[in-house]
Amino acid sequence: MTKITLNGRELEVDASKPLIAACDTAGIDVPRYCYHPGLEPVGSCRICQVEVSEGGRPARVMAACRTQVTEGMVVNTEAAGAHDARRECLEFLLKNHPLDCPICDKAGECTLQDYSFQEQQAASRSTEPRATLEKRVDLGEVIMLDQERCILCTRCVRFQEEVTKKPELTNAGLASNSYITTFAGRPLTGNYQGNLADVCPVGALTLKPFRFQARVWNLEKSSSTCAECSRGCSISVEVLRRGDVKRIRPVFNPDVNQWWMCDTGRFSFPEVNDAERLTGGLIASGDDLMGVTTGEAIRHAAGVLASSSKTALLASPFLTVEEAAEVKVLGEAVGAELLFVSPDPNELKDDLLHTGDPCPNRNGLEQAGFKAISPADAATRVTGADAAILVGERILKLLAGNSLGSTKLVTLDTAACLASGVEACISIPFYVEKAGTWINVDGHIGRLTIARPIPASVQPLERSLVELTKSLSRAGASV
Amino acid sequence: MSGFEKYLTSRMTGEDSHTLAAFKKNGGYATLERALKEMQPAEVIEVVKASGLRGRGGAGFPTGLKWTFMPDPAKDPRSRYLAINADESEPGTCKDRIIMDEDPHGLLEGILLACYAMKCEASYIYVRGEYRHQYDRTAAAIVEARAAGLIGKNILGTGFNCEIHMHKGAGAYICGEETGMMESLEGKRGHPRPKPPFPAGFGLWGQPTTVNNVETIFNVPFIVEKGSKWFRTMGSEASPGNFLVGISGNVNKPGVYEAPLGTNAKVLLEADHFAGGVSEGRQLKAWFTGGSSTGMMPGSTVDVAMDHDSVKAAGTMLGTAAMIMLDDTQCVVRAMQIIARFYDHETCGQCSQCREGCQWLHQIFKRIEEGQGREGDIDLLTSIGNGMAPGKTICALADAAAIPAHQMIKHFRADLEEHIRDGGCKINKTGKCAAGHSHDAPATEKAEAQA
Ligand SMILES: Cc1cc2nc3c(=O)[nH]c(=O)nc-3n(C[C@H](O)[C@H](O)[C@H](O)COP(=O)(O)O)c2cc1C
Ligand code: SF4
Ligand code: SF4
Ligand code: FES
Repeated sequence: MTKITLNGRELEVDASKPLIAACDTAGIDVPRYCYHPGLEPVGSCRICQVEVSEGGRPARVMAACRTQVTEGMVVNTEAAGAHDARRECLEFLLKNHPLDCPICDKAGECTLQDYSFQEQQAASRSTEPRATLEKRVDLGEVIMLDQERCILCTRCVRFQEEVTKKPELTNAGLASNSYITTFAGRPLTGNYQGNLADVCPVGALTLKPFRFQARVWNLEKSSSTCAECSRGCSISVEVLRRGDVKRIRPVFNPDVNQWWMCDTGRFSFPEVNDAERLTGGLIASGDDLMGVTTGEAIRHAAGVLASSSKTALLASPFLTVEEAAEVKVLGEAVGAELLFVSPDPNELKDDLLHTGDPCPNRNGLEQAGFKAISPADAATRVTGADAAILVGERILKLLAGNSLGSTKLVTLDTAACLASGVEACISIPFYVEKAGTWINVDGHIGRLTIARPIPASVQPLERSLVELTKSLSRAGASV
Repeated sequence: MSGFEKYLTSRMTGEDSHTLAAFKKNGGYATLERALKEMQPAEVIEVVKASGLRGRGGAGFPTGLKWTFMPDPAKDPRSRYLAINADESEPGTCKDRIIMDEDPHGLLEGILLACYAMKCEASYIYVRGEYRHQYDRTAAAIVEARAAGLIGKNILGTGFNCEIHMHKGAGAYICGEETGMMESLEGKRGHPRPKPPFPAGFGLWGQPTTVNNVETIFNVPFIVEKGSKWFRTMGSEASPGNFLVGISGNVNKPGVYEAPLGTNAKVLLEADHFAGGVSEGRQLKAWFTGGSSTGMMPGSTVDVAMDHDSVKAAGTMLGTAAMIMLDDTQCVVRAMQIIARFYDHETCGQCSQCREGCQWLHQIFKRIEEGQGREGDIDLLTSIGNGMAPGKTICALADAAAIPAHQMIKHFRADLEEHIRDGGCKINKTGKCAAGHSHDAPATEKAEAQA
């Protein structure tokens, strides 16, 4: 540890990191474009200038991202000279910027806007024509590039060089005509393209699925955990007007995903924006299903289970630890073995984040005493029983394609069950609509928070489970 | 004044001066052989240090001192390299060119001595892409030297091993900046690296590396042969030795001349054995002291000793000692615009201030030259230059672009003001200069205008 004085405060800082990191730790925001804590600093944008004095020498303005902290260093991020240098730098950066902020998806979370505001760089003295470059360069399925907005920080290039280690982007052209492009104009590939839009400090790299979808300040952001594999990356779930999830982005988590996430997770939100989702409940009525309240569906389900002599229980790997506890109580009440459906690992596994295991709470369920079972074996358990409880988000999807025979089914999922033996369907919230805990592949806790209100006709799964267990004991008593 | 000792150009006579046979006839490689057999590497460094030799690549850094920055091989067993900067792209500069043309073996002998001194296993010569002939000459010299057992394994039977490789640049000025050059040698875009780390610790492929200019290294065999005392009999106390001055522009005899450092620029301009005076007896309007990056000084300042300190005291820099002379038929605003265009074209584009500032400077100078100058432009130019330099960017190109602009405003403000007031350049409007000569736009600009 090294002692420095930062804006008048004496601090002990980690000398293996650049000065800007020390400022971050101290909660002092130094503007940055090319610097990203997850990438090697290159010191090219020059916006991070702060005033530094070493060994009693006169203070100099230096780039904080390339400055090594030394014992006794005195740093002033608010010195007039530092502000001047940053303002100058901003004027240069904005000289050719298209200023199409009103229709830019980055507006509101663009640091070119923020730092211009912060440094009060309001006027440009340039009257020269602005550079015109390509505004819509299609880089494949995920990313659209606007070369005019690019400030050439090379974060995108370095993200690929250093993180995915599959460089596809480069800067080409010369001098003020430099631009970012892909090698030979080929589309980007791989499962980590979305991060490029996150690292881009401006609106040069935008996510195609998010283009013109929302003004970012209208999004309500909640931190949560990604559902798409057992890594459980920390995410921000971003909801527009209490309705659809418009965007999922990674949130820094040093133990799990650092600053990144894969595209499978990032673009999984259509799953939770299902307009056809089940609300309330459904019960069998003749050859048909009849819409009922959740309470009625639960009572009907209890009746079915009470009269079953052999009941199977198959849980979804998306159940939270808290839900699993209630499922366990129900399982014990019906005398069923605790099983969760675990599909085969998928081909998405890589050496960065994706584990290839689509069960976000495998660890939590196993710790709670649930045993993994393949979808095919699960179907066999169902067909071998009088009745079966299928519980948890996506459980029906996981079993799709397997015959469930004519076993009487009680399902608790976000969708309705259309199998022939269905007796009762009870609606449940999506994972973005509940609080709870998952335990990831390495034992790290992932928290879910309520990012969007549950529809009034859907009740939390734990509550439905408690009610079902209660009503079952009553039904059992009356049988 | 012509009675000084010449050594740099002493062998550059005859049609075959570039051949091994001619070089050997003049005692070539004898110093190398003596050094390898009789001197310790540290002694070679000592001699160069004592000689006071300063780098000829532009910054004038003491060469011997630079060599001592290389880590001790006993403590740091990594590979070590010497990179020779033959990118020579600074406008006006053409001195390394004659060395590679006419005395490439002299350069190779210097490289081998430097590698021996610093215990480098290989040297890379980075040659400006346009220097095809110079590249071929040097490459041919390497072939000859290798065949004669002077390059490769066990040189002259002494057990010393050293490889020399050549690399052609692709025409980018920035690849002459030492870390841009190393990136380019590694096969990457020539983007200068932020420093620290410095090349001696983290150079080519991350290994300890020293970068020296062609002319710098070319001096080394002479110093090792004749000693540091001899070297210090020439030039000034702080800038010893002779140097190669490229004199171009409106002079009677443009060319590269050898002279002792500290020779008065007026002498270099006027003496018959140097440039022979301003063309057609006209007046000197302006001059660049050492390549475009040093900016223009008024013609009246030409009475200055050409050594690092004297030129600095006169308010400019020795740079690469490439004197570009402009007579009174030239428009300094136009000259400035061309220089600004050069930097706008050559900035690598990494640093915000440099990328945008070089373009901005050029746009404004171009407007002024074309008659679209505005009140306030001069203050704006000053302030843009202040935003770019000094030392605000990764490398010194931003400084090299800002300095000429500042010099222009300091020394030729009246010319700028006149252009702004009169709506452009008189010379351009009439197609004729004050002296009545026609001035066509350069071919490239014409092509641009037609396109
Ligand atoms: C933009 C820029 C261009 C340069 N171009 C050259 C060049 O063409 N040749 C050269 O020898 N040095 C050039 N230099 C200087 C080198 O960076 C380096 O200082 C020099 O090669 C060191 O050699 P020396 O110590 O022998 O002078 C350039 C520097 C800058 C900033
Ligand atoms: S596209 Fe974005 S991340 Fe890439 S260099 Fe440009 S501004 Fe930086
Ligand atoms: S100062 Fe200019 S040339 Fe040098 S690294 Fe920065 S942008 Fe490139
Ligand atoms: S953030 Fe430090 S130079 Fe870009």
